[in-house]
Amino acid sequence: MTARTTRVATLLTGLAVTAYGVLLLAERGWRNLEAALTWLVGGVLLHDVVLAPATVVLGWAALRVARPERVRPWAVALVLLGPLTLLALPVLGRFGARPDNPTLLDRPYWFGWIVVVALVAAGILIAGRARRQHEPPSRSTDPEPVPEEGGARGPRVGRR
Amino acid sequence: MRAPVPREEDFRSGLRSPIVTSRVGLWLGICFGLAFVTGLISHYAQQPHQPVPFPTSPSWGYRVTQGLHVAAGTAAVPLLLVKLWTVFPKLFARPPRRAAELVRHGAERASVAVLVSAAVFQLATGLANTAQWYPWHFHFRATHYAIGWVAIGALLVHVAVKLPLIRAALGSDVESTALDRPGAADIAGVLSRRGLLQTTWGAAALATAATVGISVPWLRRVSVLGVRSGGGPQGVPINTSAAAAGVVPTATSAAYRLTVRAGKRSASFSLRDLRAMPQKTASLPIACVEGWSAGATWSGVPVRDLLARVGGRTGVDVRVTSLQASGPYRVTTLPGNFADDPRTLVALDLGGEPLSIDHGFPCRLIAPDRPGVLQTKWLGSLEVAS
Repeated sequence: MTARTTRVATLLTGLAVTAYGVLLLAERGWRNLEAALTWLVGGVLLHDVVLAPATVVLGWAALRVARPERVRPWAVALVLLGPLTLLALPVLGRFGARPDNPTLLDRPYWFGWIVVVALVAAGILIAGRARRQHEPPSRSTDPEPVPEEGGARGPRVGRR
Repeated sequence: MRAPVPREEDFRSGLRSPIVTSRVGLWLGICFGLAFVTGLISHYAQQPHQPVPFPTSPSWGYRVTQGLHVAAGTAAVPLLLVKLWTVFPKLFARPPRRAAELVRHGAERASVAVLVSAAVFQLATGLANTAQWYPWHFHFRATHYAIGWVAIGALLVHVAVKLPLIRAALGSDVESTALDRPGAADIAGVLSRRGLLQTTWGAAALATAATVGISVPWLRRVSVLGVRSGGGPQGVPINTSAAAAGVVPTATSAAYRLTVRAGKRSASFSLRDLRAMPQKTASLPIACVEGWSAGATWSGVPVRDLLARVGGRTGVDVRVTSLQASGPYRVTTLPGNFADDPRTLVALDLGGEPLSIDHGFPCRLIAPDRPGVLQTKWLGSLEVAS
């Protein structure tokens, strides 16, 4: 069975490669391992205990107060901007900046971030409008005309 | 009253489906694979002793691989977060009752824990490193390298375990519910699976565009979250300033001499002596391990011409020492094939002007296809064994 052979070979290779990594880590000594473990465990905890539950609660709360179609633009914004904001934390905080090196972290990062947020918001609004023009209004059970998507429910997503 | 901890069945969204997980996971795997391979290249390029010499051509090779390394890691952030979101209910799956299944289940959970832990570690420490932020006490390079092996190994284990499901999911229509968790219903509305996937690709593209300008010059203006704008003295960014390296007095001293030694023969060159020698100009990028790079035009004396002055053999490793009093890269090895390359210079000029102090005045090493940390600034000596 070639499929099974592939699977077993991949599994064994993976175990060997992992073991090699662990060996390399062990070679750096206990102090190094201890410092790394804080980050290895901390990262998972931060995701599983803080970030993921927060997303669940956010989604649950959003669906309690609004119809799914109204939550959609916020979900799109969260997927686009949430990870981007997380990965930009080192530059937004400028933690590594040094007075003797003006070529490092030399952009107006918060300004740049706001520009990206504005562009994403504009894109979502335009896409939402185009979508409503394409779709027949019969799908909506809401008798009143739908205002600009988003509008009043901002702060919840903005929290991230 | 129910316990506040949810059960797997409590998660109803049909978006949290293997159909979505496998598609995002495929691209995440590609990003991790790219980051791993380019990481190995970077690690090897920094080895002082190389059984197979690292090539000197193309001169932009390291610029591309290290740019890719950081770009792949950056694009992986949204992919990883979305992928973890799709499998979050699994965290609450009840363990099976039967002992044999329980062992299997436990082993799989442990392998996933290792994978997630290593993946988050690599992305978090890698991104902090690009911004030169080191809020930890471990040795970054060695630890990031070791965990890279752990991450890729755990990824292979995970793929092996999930292979039948991955095959089935990738082969199914996006809207198929055949592989979904029991209890998963299609909560209509918020996003379709296609919508979530497209948004995820968009998030990866956005993350890349917002940062990749550090290695792709024509995207500099777009990359508003790049760690560098690309500017600096003489149009090139710097990593370590002369002040930080503590070399200002020795580098600017009138008594400065570059010592070149081959065995027992040695010669000293003042800046004036170096300028009096035949000069060569080379267009070479400076490409840092942190991902940023910049093209530049350098002029100076080829290293091999200097070694020839003391009768040094060609093609042998050169010990390069900086004026820096300390630091891990104070003494480095320039492999023989690099020393022999006519483009490898003891550079005196950058962009037609004398090097600024932060770029390594009075002279620095610049070689093709070489990590920036090994392009030694404020050269003190070049030595080869006789």
